[in-house]
Amino acid sequence: MLRLEKLKKTFGNDHALDGLDMEIADGSLYGFVGPNGAGKTTTIRIIAGLLSPDGGRLEIGGFDAADSPARIKRLIGYVPDYFGVYDNLKVTEYMEFFAACYGMEGYKARRRAEVLLEQVGLGDKRDSFVDELSRGMKQRLSLARALIHDPQLLIMDEPTAGLDPRTRLEFRDMVMGLHEQGKTILISSHLLTDLSELCTDIGIIDAGKMTLEGSVREILERIYTSKPLVITIQDDLTTAMRILKDEPLVQTITVKGSDIMVEFAGDSGQECDLLKQMIDNGVRVRGFMREQGSLETVFMQITSGEKERVVLSYETESDL
Amino acid sequence: MKRNPIYKREAMVSARSFRLALVLMIFSGILAVVALLNMYSTLAQVRLTAEIQYTSFLDLFLFITILEFAMLVLIMPAITAGSISGERERQTLELLMTTELTPHEIVQGKLMGALSTMGLLVASGFPILGIVFVYGGVTVPDIGLLILCYMVAALFMGSLGIACSAICRKTTMATVMTYALLGFLVLGTYGINQFVWYLNGMQTDTYLTAAGQAAEQATSGGFLYLLLANPASTFLLVISGMTGREPITEAVTSWFGSRSQNWILTDWIGISLLLQVVCAALFFRVAVWAVRVRKTPARRKNRKKFTVADDRKIE
Repeated sequence: MLRLEKLKKTFGNDHALDGLDMEIADGSLYGFVGPNGAGKTTTIRIIAGLLSPDGGRLEIGGFDAADSPARIKRLIGYVPDYFGVYDNLKVTEYMEFFAACYGMEGYKARRRAEVLLEQVGLGDKRDSFVDELSRGMKQRLSLARALIHDPQLLIMDEPTAGLDPRTRLEFRDMVMGLHEQGKTILISSHLLTDLSELCTDIGIIDAGKMTLEGSVREILERIYTSKPLVITIQDDLTTAMRILKDEPLVQTITVKGSDIMVEFAGDSGQECDLLKQMIDNGVRVRGFMREQGSLETVFMQITSGEKERVVLSYETESDL
Repeated sequence: MKRNPIYKREAMVSARSFRLALVLMIFSGILAVVALLNMYSTLAQVRLTAEIQYTSFLDLFLFITILEFAMLVLIMPAITAGSISGERERQTLELLMTTELTPHEIVQGKLMGALSTMGLLVASGFPILGIVFVYGGVTVPDIGLLILCYMVAALFMGSLGIACSAICRKTTMATVMTYALLGFLVLGTYGINQFVWYLNGMQTDTYLTAAGQAAEQATSGGFLYLLLANPASTFLLVISGMTGREPITEAVTSWFGSRSQNWILTDWIGISLLLQVVCAALFFRVAVWAVRVRKTPARRKNRKKFTVADDRKIE
């Protein structure tokens, strides 16, 4: 659906995008993650047609953005990190106005607006003035507005920023519903927990470059196998150590009290075999698990360029 | 025919606006009171002297047309100066730019909206203006020329306001810029001519000894043609011709010194209206260019470092 190749954008001496590559498959829900200033918003604004890249190629739905900007506008629905509302306009009028911007008028526009307002839970607010809506309602209206022309690709720039947890959950459910309907969605957010539960694919951008991209399952699997296996035994450390040393998939062993930290290159099935072997040899195992990895830890590793650390004061930025 | 969505929305919002209704009421109220007072004074004079002063109806006509033009000059910039910059401030311009609307359609819709609001205000004065037809003195072609003059002036000032609005990011700045440019066009061009005429008069005075000759010889020279871009001067010429106090061509030749006729002075009104339309088209193009190019840049957020604790190593 979307492909970015070597995308470049500079603001003065600041290289906002430095050869960014990105690919989003049809029907996927793509989480776009990166620290502040990494180039997320610039990328999204280029995709939405609000900025022109200095170099590289942007292709949406098989059309080159440089050759067919008008066609691309039809394919895209854009939900920015602000609302963009008009005073003195009712909710239905707001929707019909944006429908008219895509050439839809009359009954067709009214019907489409009604369906979308019902879909985002604003059916009972259709006669309210837009500027009187709450923040959460405005964001839902923004989503409905972006869907008015039934776009194939929905781009959302930090759509849940500033929303309360309940509204955020409702919004997340709406996004999942749209994904189930077959929409391709690009969503940028700092809320990594939300993204890891919501998205099918993730791209992590840092300093204008894509540092990690792939499906959430692949990435989590990679994180999982890179984490040490923590085995807690009751007694008989000698037998346990002998079994572990004999196991070819074990790479390093570190002992701390009754805990044995093992770098194990096997998958979950091979983990089961190892556990069975230990139990069969009479080792009383109290605990056997991989240390939990998450998108947050990967994000921190990638964006800080260092080893995994414990995040303490990140709450204000990411709600971790 | 498909209506411009921007114009449709502007028309709907302005029709709903209490402010517009209030302005209409006050404006029509002033015109009505002046017309009634004028008629009352004419009737009182008839009772007193048995003589009807038909020129008083022309005075009423002059008052209404000048008031309408003054309103046009004062209100049009206020309506248009916030049109594009307001969209930018509300962050709706970007949303519009992601739709299928082109910058041309956006500017066109804004201009049409402003012109229709202004048209409504001007047209609201026509019933009272129509009183003069009861007594005669002003012909239908005269009124046609007056309306054309209003329309061209509104288009000219509206396009100027929208161009300033598209160039400036803030409405306040756009409003100041529009009024400053309009002030220069209306008062500045007049002031320049007055100043040059005065200087030339002083210079000529030193060579001519006969009193009174200096004023006849001195003119403001080529600066007079700056007034072609002054909608107010063209309007004054139009109403001067309508009220029959002075023929238009004679009026122009006597502005800022006496001069001989030429093709520009002869067709002053036509050339001035054409020039204003050309300038309006130019301002329109500038506005379209500014909307296309001067989008709000990406908000560059400060890159923040995350606070982290020391490595957690289990050895």
